[in-house]
Amino acid sequence: MTAPQLPIDPYNVIITGVGGQGNVLASRLMGRMLVAQDYYVTIGETFGASQRGGSVMSHLRISTRSAWSPQIPHGRAHMVIAIEPSEAFRVLAVYGNAEIQVIWNTRPIHPVSVITGQAVYPSLEEIAQGLNELSAQNWPLEATSQAQTMGNPILGNIMMVGALSAVSDLPLGSDIFEETINEMMPPAKVPINLQAFSWGRAALT
Amino acid sequence: MSIVSTGAKGQTALLMGNDAIARGALEAGVRVVAGYPGTPSSEIIQTLADVASNHGLYVEWSANEKVGLEVAAAGSFAQLRSLAVMKQVGVNVASDFLLHLSEYGTRAGLVLVTCEDPGGLSSTNEGDSRHYAKMMEFPLIEPGNFQEAKDMAAWGFELSEKVHNVVMFRSVTRMSHASGNVVLGEISPGPSKARFQFDGDMMDQMGGPVVTFPGMVDPMHRRQLEKLEMARKIFETSPFNTYTGPNQPDLLVITSSAASLYAREAIDLLHVAERVGLLKLGTTWPLPPKLLAKHLKTSEKTLIIEEGMPFLEDNIKALWTELGPEAGTKQFFGRKDGPLPPTDELNPDLVARALAEILGLPAPTADQAYMGRAAELAKTHAPFRAMTFCPGCPHRASYWLLNSALKQDNRRGFVCGDIGCYTLGVIGCGFNTLKTSHAMGSGTGLASGFGKLNRFGFDQPVMAVCGDSTFFHAAMPALVNAIHNRADMTLVLVDNSGTAMTGFQPHPGSSSDASGGELPSVDIARICEAMGAEVAIADPFEMERAEKTILDLLDKEDGVRVLILRQACALSPGKKGKRLFEMAVDENACLAEECGCNRLCTRIFGCPGLIWDPEAKKTRIDEVICVGCGVCASICPTGAISKKEVAS
Amino acid sequence: MNEDKGNQGQAWIRNQVMAQGLCTGCAACVGLCPYQKFYRDQTAVIHECDRTWGRCSAYCPRGQVDLGGLRTILFEPRDITPELGAVKGLYMTRSTDPEIRDRAQHGGTVSTLVALTLKEGFIHKAVLAERKNNQVSESVAISDPDAVASFAGSKFSVAPTVAKFNEISQGEPSKIGVVATPCQALALARMRAYPQPGDEERMKNLALVIGLFCGWALSFRELRRLIKEKAGADRIQGMDIPPSQHKIMELHTEKGLIEIPMEEVQTCIRESCRYCYDLTCEFSDLSVGSARSPEGWAVDRGWNQVLVRTDKGQALLDLARSRGILEFKAVPPENLDRLKAASLGKKNTCMIQLEEVSGRKEDLIYTRREAILCQ
Repeated sequence: MTAPQLPIDPYNVIITGVGGQGNVLASRLMGRMLVAQDYYVTIGETFGASQRGGSVMSHLRISTRSAWSPQIPHGRAHMVIAIEPSEAFRVLAVYGNAEIQVIWNTRPIHPVSVITGQAVYPSLEEIAQGLNELSAQNWPLEATSQAQTMGNPILGNIMMVGALSAVSDLPLGSDIFEETINEMMPPAKVPINLQAFSWGRAALT
Repeated sequence: MSIVSTGAKGQTALLMGNDAIARGALEAGVRVVAGYPGTPSSEIIQTLADVASNHGLYVEWSANEKVGLEVAAAGSFAQLRSLAVMKQVGVNVASDFLLHLSEYGTRAGLVLVTCEDPGGLSSTNEGDSRHYAKMMEFPLIEPGNFQEAKDMAAWGFELSEKVHNVVMFRSVTRMSHASGNVVLGEISPGPSKARFQFDGDMMDQMGGPVVTFPGMVDPMHRRQLEKLEMARKIFETSPFNTYTGPNQPDLLVITSSAASLYAREAIDLLHVAERVGLLKLGTTWPLPPKLLAKHLKTSEKTLIIEEGMPFLEDNIKALWTELGPEAGTKQFFGRKDGPLPPTDELNPDLVARALAEILGLPAPTADQAYMGRAAELAKTHAPFRAMTFCPGCPHRASYWLLNSALKQDNRRGFVCGDIGCYTLGVIGCGFNTLKTSHAMGSGTGLASGFGKLNRFGFDQPVMAVCGDSTFFHAAMPALVNAIHNRADMTLVLVDNSGTAMTGFQPHPGSSSDASGGELPSVDIARICEAMGAEVAIADPFEMERAEKTILDLLDKEDGVRVLILRQACALSPGKKGKRLFEMAVDENACLAEECGCNRLCTRIFGCPGLIWDPEAKKTRIDEVICVGCGVCASICPTGAISKKEVAS
Repeated sequence: MNEDKGNQGQAWIRNQVMAQGLCTGCAACVGLCPYQKFYRDQTAVIHECDRTWGRCSAYCPRGQVDLGGLRTILFEPRDITPELGAVKGLYMTRSTDPEIRDRAQHGGTVSTLVALTLKEGFIHKAVLAERKNNQVSESVAISDPDAVASFAGSKFSVAPTVAKFNEISQGEPSKIGVVATPCQALALARMRAYPQPGDEERMKNLALVIGLFCGWALSFRELRRLIKEKAGADRIQGMDIPPSQHKIMELHTEKGLIEIPMEEVQTCIRESCRYCYDLTCEFSDLSVGSARSPEGWAVDRGWNQVLVRTDKGQALLDLARSRGILEFKAVPPENLDRLKAASLGKKNTCMIQLEEVSGRKEDLIYTRREAILCQ
């Protein structure tokens, strides 16, 4: 079995957010879904100190050819999944380009600088406007508020992966999701994750 | 269960570097695993602890890295393949034993894994442990990709047994905390019978007593050098040293570890595969001279790309001078000779720029107009996200109290700290309370020293903080020192019931082992009392009482006081996901920016679970982030923040 | 000078008051917000407040005080003297109750007056200082007239009197009387004359200020150091400065009596007392101190001198006389001049000290020469 060709190889995805948002789980989940289909996947993650309220970023390199650097070269990301909206801008400033696509969760998590009043958090309109300017295409997603109604805001990360499956050429369909989530999660947690994935996928279909 | 344990031979798995190392150890039949947690190393031991019972392993979180290496060495001496794991700073802790260990050597395979943190992503330094391999004369290996992380971890045990010495396996953050495709091998059952032989004579490495001893130093050192020579020979033909590129490249790149991934990416970015030769070394000490001579001769220019200090760069240059005229004239590039930066983590862009510069090519550039605009928007749209204590973190409350007490005491008192989540006491989220921070336990040692300076007119109260895990790791000798020398100081033990910073590993004060089994917990308060300190215990969430206790302790003169501020980490298994209180803000009572409050909760206390609404000019609770610890209700001057117990 | 101008909030307190050693520990800035706290005998800034206006500096006796304006609002202009502020009359009094006299340092006048006002319901609560131990004083609010006497006697370090007033004045409305030192009384005067927005209601609770003549207070830490130096590890059972000569401090230890010469005790005076111009507690309804007649100490031993400054103060004293709980004796005519001279002496010393701190002639940091001299 060989993996289907990708429109761009390596295809570079950045999942960004704040410690505690399930960023790492989302990247591993996607990685496993793709490795199961014979892709080479390289993931670079930054965690540790950054769990303490800092930015957390995962780089995914997806390729039919080989492993790549766990750090994407500057300006060469193809897709950004921002579980926290302002984090999208931090990523775009280093890895962005005019062709980039962005899926972003609309729920902010204020950094301490904003809580203390030293900095101002942009309005949703400003965020949307900025992302229109910096991306070829972007999709806002009310993932956290939807996840809250499902009982746990952290499910927002799975919704983002579901949303990605709807708009990207990566083979991330429901079947492979179900298969993979079954491997990664205790059975009791599988249904709610399936529900979250479906919601995200439906939201952008 | 983890694929590290269940994955079948031949299966391709997406493995994090640390999991690949764990799998490699399992495939080699490792039996004894020990070490101390530290990012980016912690997952290796935890992964093996989780499957210990399935594979018949003994896995422990040791009190510190030196003890961890000693525990692993005991396994080796008793004929079991053993693994010690730590981060770069931990190797320094273990290094005293390591010097003795490598002098004598090992029996069954013993691998010391060090996971290092170039750039200090979650460290306070860029320590590079490779120098220990040279200084203490044992072999060093470094994987260049995820498959090698597994394969070389397994091979490390074989190598150790061939040369009868400890083998250092060095990983870096971008290897340990990165993931890639790994084809799995077979898990070896390994021996199950341990036996320590000691009847032979002192130089009988497999059967005599395991001692380093005056009078035996010279023969043992000679034997150690023979082992190193043996490793050198093995390395000449190691499959983990690979070359790709033309026979006569314009530029020879010599690289190791994650830096080899950056080098490949940079060569691809610049489309220079025909001009650049890439010698990736998996065995980095001792260097294989023949292999290097062969490649050094092929090009006049050599660029050495490595993570950390110029270890390869220095040693390859030294080797080249030993080769003499036959090696020809050469120009070296690297971290020391430029154009690579001498400090900080590397990445594909830095490497590509260096390659382009040396090859006389334009550096790969992004769309400048786009980048300019994106940088502009990042300034306004991505407000700075500083590290901070988690919502519900007891350290925020503890530092609130320490700061308040020291300010009230009004004698310019200060706190000496060390490594842990509580290091954040240096910055605003800890109210800038920490004024020194160095190695594990060093706050206590420094306080012991400051506490003896009164004869020189020193009149500032001295406090130290250390975590519960750090207490066992390194603070105990410092505390003994302070007590014995009658230093005037107060040690505040911020006891959050686990090694919280690295993912909540148990420590000697915990009542469980690495795999969740029951163990007797060692009582910190009783230890301190037995040492002779005056001990008080308080809950930092009971703020009024705790603050009074701190003030009273500050008031005492002469001798050592210990205050245990005990409250579990918000991420601890017992607390995570459980909300104690439902928090609410009464907007009518919230004074906000008015005189009498001036946003104490958001401007000063700064818990991430709070939101400052600049339009409404009110504080709100972020219900997604708040964990309901209730502390903000205690600090609100008007009682506008209320807490309601959540029905359990 | 205008009260509103230049109020820089806590920054003033930090930079102009605390950093220069001027903080009196009156605790006027404590209890109104969480940023300052009082501990032992000092006010400390716990966190920085970045407001450019604050009640802390509005009420601070070392804030930019408009002494003249305060006098105009609180006193009758014709009563004002350059040396002693408003004076309606000078009296010599003592309690008629020997038990009270026994407990008091001098004549027990303060205890008598406080008990009277509580009993008559003029005030519902009295804020008094309590000597908690030999080095530390605390502030208490009491409503039982019979409890007053137990708080009599001298205190060596300052108590957070104004913080206690702040605390209880924010509760249910009630008439509050405060026994205050000059710095505390000045803070209360600023509150009363210029209540800041939000404080108008609260200040209606301040019904009476009984002032105490005050030469200085001792620093808790310095005093503790001195006691340790003199008594070592011995337990201290009591401490006193006998009123007769004011020449020694007596330290009663478990091993006996230690006498400390006043010159040594005076090394423990808090720095801020050097920058105080007020000997007789000018911003009170009436103020009370020891008496010393030209004939010598012994003559007036056990008597107080009382300066009445307001009608309210006068009414209270008259009531005490009519109830027969205070005994009066004729004040020698020289006494007023002696008091004026002593007061002027403190004012002059204070002005010299302040000029030294500011480094500029006529820069008295928190006030002006004319204001101190009631001009």
